[in-house]
Amino acid sequence: MSLFAAEKPGSRLSRFWHKWRFHINVLLLLVPLGFMPKYFADAALFRGDTGLGEREIGEVQVGPWSLRLAELRNEAPRPDGPAGYMKSFNAALCDSCREQVKATYLRIGKPRSLRAAGVIFFGTPYRMGAMLPIPEKTKADAELWITMEGWDGAMHQASIPLSQASPATLEWLNKQGGKP
Amino acid sequence: MDPTLGSPQQRPSHRYKTLIMSKKSRSKLWFLVHSWLALPIWFFVLIVCVTGTLAVISQEIVWLANPQMRASQPSDDAPLLSYDQLIAAIKQAEPQILVESISRPDETHFALDVEVTYPDGRSVVVYVNPYSGVIQGTAPQFNFRAFTRALHGWWLVPFTNGYSWGWYLVSFLSLPLLASLITGLVVYKRFWKGFLRPTLRLRHGARIFWGDFHRLSGIWSIWFIAVISVTSTWFLIEAFMFDNQITISTAPVAPVVPRESVPLTADGSPAPMISLETAIREAKARIPGLEDSFISLPANAYSYLSVGGRSWYPLMFQTAEINPYTGDVAVTRLLSDRSGLELVTESMRPLHTGDFGGLWIKLIWFFFGLLLSMMVLSGLLIWTKRTALATANALKRSNKRPRAADATHVTSHDTTEVSQ
Repeated sequence: MSLFAAEKPGSRLSRFWHKWRFHINVLLLLVPLGFMPKYFADAALFRGDTGLGEREIGEVQVGPWSLRLAELRNEAPRPDGPAGYMKSFNAALCDSCREQVKATYLRIGKPRSLRAAGVIFFGTPYRMGAMLPIPEKTKADAELWITMEGWDGAMHQASIPLSQASPATLEWLNKQGGKP
Repeated sequence: MDPTLGSPQQRPSHRYKTLIMSKKSRSKLWFLVHSWLALPIWFFVLIVCVTGTLAVISQEIVWLANPQMRASQPSDDAPLLSYDQLIAAIKQAEPQILVESISRPDETHFALDVEVTYPDGRSVVVYVNPYSGVIQGTAPQFNFRAFTRALHGWWLVPFTNGYSWGWYLVSFLSLPLLASLITGLVVYKRFWKGFLRPTLRLRHGARIFWGDFHRLSGIWSIWFIAVISVTSTWFLIEAFMFDNQITISTAPVAPVVPRESVPLTADGSPAPMISLETAIREAKARIPGLEDSFISLPANAYSYLSVGGRSWYPLMFQTAEINPYTGDVAVTRLLSDRSGLELVTESMRPLHTGDFGGLWIKLIWFFFGLLLSMMVLSGLLIWTKRTALATANALKRSNKRPRAADATHVTSHDTTEVSQ
């Protein structure tokens, strides 16, 4: 390496470059080093070590039952290919309703029937998750509807304003400027 | 490669004895290309090779470090517990725990990996003894296996929208690796003779030793470098296809249990599910040869129980989705369901990682991974001692004889650096 530098004296900068150009790629190590805190924070988030999600929404009463709802990430919906923008929510059922609730669903806007209750939660009653599609034209005053279905066929619903469920999503919708 | 490579070159002067490997400028060029492929990013290539090598045996390293992960047999004839017995044992020890999946690692000296959730919302893997059902411990927060894989596979760059750019960065290295293999074989004249007469001169100085080492490990690693570079080229293509919504998959869309087949109960308690052993028995009766090395319990009331394991073809898994209320096999994903193209592409990952045939295959992959890492290092050492000189000489020649300029054009990006 130093061979070339010796042949062509050049400026200080070019000498420096010739001496170190093959060592510069060591700097690529800064990339994983920089992402390491994020990597471990995500690992803890998915293990549930840091709670249900990055932002707890709180307890939501749904008929005789209730559930604790959280945003997996306190951030705007993420693009997911042709499926559009998605937002992940996590939930945990109340102690007394764990055995009674057959399924829990999320939807933006009031569902017309149980069959259109929205996306279903996957996981155990202690920790379950659902990926909710967020259309870009969602109105700022939209509501997040929670539908719970019992093993005996009962159905209960509740809603919370989207602004309460996910302020980051609302901010994102406002930034879109209400795209048609 | 540059088309000018094929143009007829003038015979070099014999004054330039430094280029001992070749007598023609053409192979000299191949040689320079070979030398320059990994050099500017040698450290990155080295770390990717080293982390990949570690990832191969990461599970074994954790096994060595963590006794909770070991499966000790209480007595020589102690039988393995069935899945139902395992869940019963787990429930007895910790009644609040909910099991999500159980998987039996390939090697019998590993405890079972059981994914569970706790009432406080933690979702973790616990190590369970396959003979006694005892929960031996919880997988530590720092998952060494996942970490080395993430570092090797995508340089820890998070996946936010499709594949992470770290994935592209790493898998892109497959191209220089493949090119190194090809150019290496081109410049190593009659390399097959190296198999018959292996040369590793220890007492002729570092340059000779590293040169011999590079060539010797190179020819014995031909198959391995080919496997690694081809499979990682596939990883690059796979990411590109995914991010551009191109799919070759024939797998059915994830199905749900039909609403009418999920029973209602009068007292509002969960509908009874068939036992895991019944489910597995029914699935095996329907699908001869189905293995049950893992089982995933339904993730909600409308999802199937999933059972699967390796087929006779060790690189691929077969799975069956079973209705947990009736035992009907709803969907299968068998070897025979794969298209010819999928047989090739789905084989890529196990071929890359070497985790398809137990410890010995892993050790072979580990050994050659180590060798490949050493080849990056030895290549660098050789370069610092020889190629610098060779490039300088090639340049001098091109300055003296402008007609040969197009020959050095190949290394233009290098020569511009050098001639500044």
